[in-house]
Amino acid sequence: MNELQFLTWVRGTGLNVAVGVFLLGVFWRLIEIYGLGRKKDLSAPRHVAGASGWHTIFRRSIPAQGMLKKSPVGYIGGFAFHIGLAIVVLLFAPHIKLIQSLTGLSWPGLPSQFIDLVAVVTLAAMVVVLADRINKPVKRFLSTFEDWFTWAVTFLPLLTGWLSVRHLLFPYSTMLALHILSVEILLIVLPFTKLFHAFTVFGSRWYNGAVNGHKGVAV
Amino acid sequence: MQGPLIEILARQGITRRTFMKYCATLASLMALPPSAGRAMAEAMAAAGVATKRPSVIWLPFQECTGCTESITRSHSPTLESLIFDVVSLDYQETLMAAAGHQAEEALHNAMKAGGYLLIVDGSIPLGLDGAYSCIAGRSNLELLKEAASGAAAIVAMGSCAAFGGLPHAKPNPTGAVSVSDVVKDKPIVNIPGCPPIPVVITGVLAHFLTFGSLPELDKHGRPKAFYGETIHDRCYRRPFYDQGKFAKTFDDEGARNGWCLFELGCKGPVTYNACATVKWNGGTSWPVESGHGCLGCSEPDFWDAGGFYKALSTPANPLKMASAAVAAGAVAGVAVSFANRGKKRAAASAHETTTLADLEK
Amino acid sequence: MPLDAIPILAVPQGLHSDERSGNAPALLREIAEMLRRFLANGETSAIDLHALPLTPADLEWLREQLGGGEIAITLNAEGESSLNETACPGVWWVTHRNPNGAVDSEFIEVADVPDLVKAHHEDVVIGLDHLELLISDLSKQRAF
Repeated sequence: MNELQFLTWVRGTGLNVAVGVFLLGVFWRLIEIYGLGRKKDLSAPRHVAGASGWHTIFRRSIPAQGMLKKSPVGYIGGFAFHIGLAIVVLLFAPHIKLIQSLTGLSWPGLPSQFIDLVAVVTLAAMVVVLADRINKPVKRFLSTFEDWFTWAVTFLPLLTGWLSVRHLLFPYSTMLALHILSVEILLIVLPFTKLFHAFTVFGSRWYNGAVNGHKGVAV
Repeated sequence: MQGPLIEILARQGITRRTFMKYCATLASLMALPPSAGRAMAEAMAAAGVATKRPSVIWLPFQECTGCTESITRSHSPTLESLIFDVVSLDYQETLMAAAGHQAEEALHNAMKAGGYLLIVDGSIPLGLDGAYSCIAGRSNLELLKEAASGAAAIVAMGSCAAFGGLPHAKPNPTGAVSVSDVVKDKPIVNIPGCPPIPVVITGVLAHFLTFGSLPELDKHGRPKAFYGETIHDRCYRRPFYDQGKFAKTFDDEGARNGWCLFELGCKGPVTYNACATVKWNGGTSWPVESGHGCLGCSEPDFWDAGGFYKALSTPANPLKMASAAVAAGAVAGVAVSFANRGKKRAAASAHETTTLADLEK
Repeated sequence: MPLDAIPILAVPQGLHSDERSGNAPALLREIAEMLRRFLANGETSAIDLHALPLTPADLEWLREQLGGGEIAITLNAEGESSLNETACPGVWWVTHRNPNGAVDSEFIEVADVPDLVKAHHEDVVIGLDHLELLISDLSKQRAF
């Protein structure tokens, strides 16, 4: 297989399969989760003031008191790489063009030099978070294969994308093909691992907050 | 330096100096040292003197004769095709005067002698036992195997012979394959292109005649001297790519200003060929210079590379299976939900209520 | 349709070609070495300028440094070739062009005269035949 065949495969068959598995998985998991239903609530609701569900969505992003000092790497690194990932994925001009070509939607992007900087910061944050997971005995003990694996499949698209923009390591087209391939792996893995939190995180927070409010726990 | 070749050329109005100049340029194009130009000129001239000129058999299989046209009708055809005066071209259906049994006899005589250079253009169909393409009632596969067995080396001329080319494109109804798919035990040099650049053909043959060996090849069996760099790397429009200036359509401002054609589907970045430096029609122009992106014709499976006019970086058609996938996902989700509910109901019905009596036991 | 009527601009080769790569000065030393060898044992040699990573600016610089000599030869053979002596006798700048005027190859040659210029004895024989034919024609004419 040469470069052209490789690139043709990843942007053709490979991508078709990856997008197919991704959509299948996402719909499957979402319907399954929402189809679980809830137990009949027999207690009288104890209303508390405020929108408990919505508040929780926001509040759980803020470190609890004292936690920032206890686990600065977890919070700062986590924030840095999540925000960085969102910026790189959603505000890099070529990505917007891709979304536009598929859906017709588009929005203004950020200068590529800035995206480049964000990508480097994000990569660094991910490495630091990984190092922290390895170094802290408790975190290491709690980590399973899935944790290492999902870290890798998230890290690789970012790394290969950055390398291809910077024209490093391999010729641009090969690097681009590797980038697309790594994204395909991510797409396939996402619905079936903890990475599915991309879809469920806010819903589950809202649910927990709402249930807590229902039970009378102040927001 | 003398010999029948020089005389033949002189009769066609080509002077000795023109020939030497041509060889000097050929050596330069092939990244050989300047002295090689003279060596080539002498070897080719001497090849004509030798009592036995190197025998060449040219077999056309599933092809369009475009490769033959490329070399025989190039800008200075006498020079590019001078190679035919140097060798004993014992069989070439398009060029030879003989036909029928006479032609077949010439072929058999040449093959009996052995040690010839075999040039193949066109792919080899394997479907229906090779019945899709036959010469004198024999399939291409049979002919190739027979001719290859006595060959010193094989030149796969054009993308069809080198990689299967257009006949190999999906769905490949004839089961077409390349020469290297059939012949495994002979040195093969691939000269892909649709058609290949004439000077590349001459260069490889001149190298074989001069040094008795094939030039250095890349991993796809292509001579590195001509296929060492991508079109993109040697493209005169490359600076626009680096500046991010792209033509978006074939008639916009960018196209008129000669900006990069990447977004219009140019395959230059993944195509290894010499068009950007050697150009076509005697150095007049080449596809990108005339405003059209590279099709990637010297690469395997270029015909199925996701569309000629789609940028390399954009997906071919990723939402092809989207609706089916969503439907399948929804069905799976609903099915699993029902299974879960069933499980829940089963658990609820299996649940035994604890009574006061149970606790007092 | 004339070429310049097509609204696609043929951008001059290499937009970065106005920069010098720094590879040219080394060539001067190589040419000097070639000349020394030529003086010592008459060995002629050549440099293929297209085989080296030189920008047009490099070539221009090199041409300026070597300067122009007394002899400029033009060869008309499938396009024009120029074989010009530089200010350093024995160093020749050889440019081969195709019939369209585009440069095919470019060499620096160290020799008394470039190989290509010398008349080949086979050709001289043909020339002599031709001349003898002319002379015999002349004498025939005189006979009448």
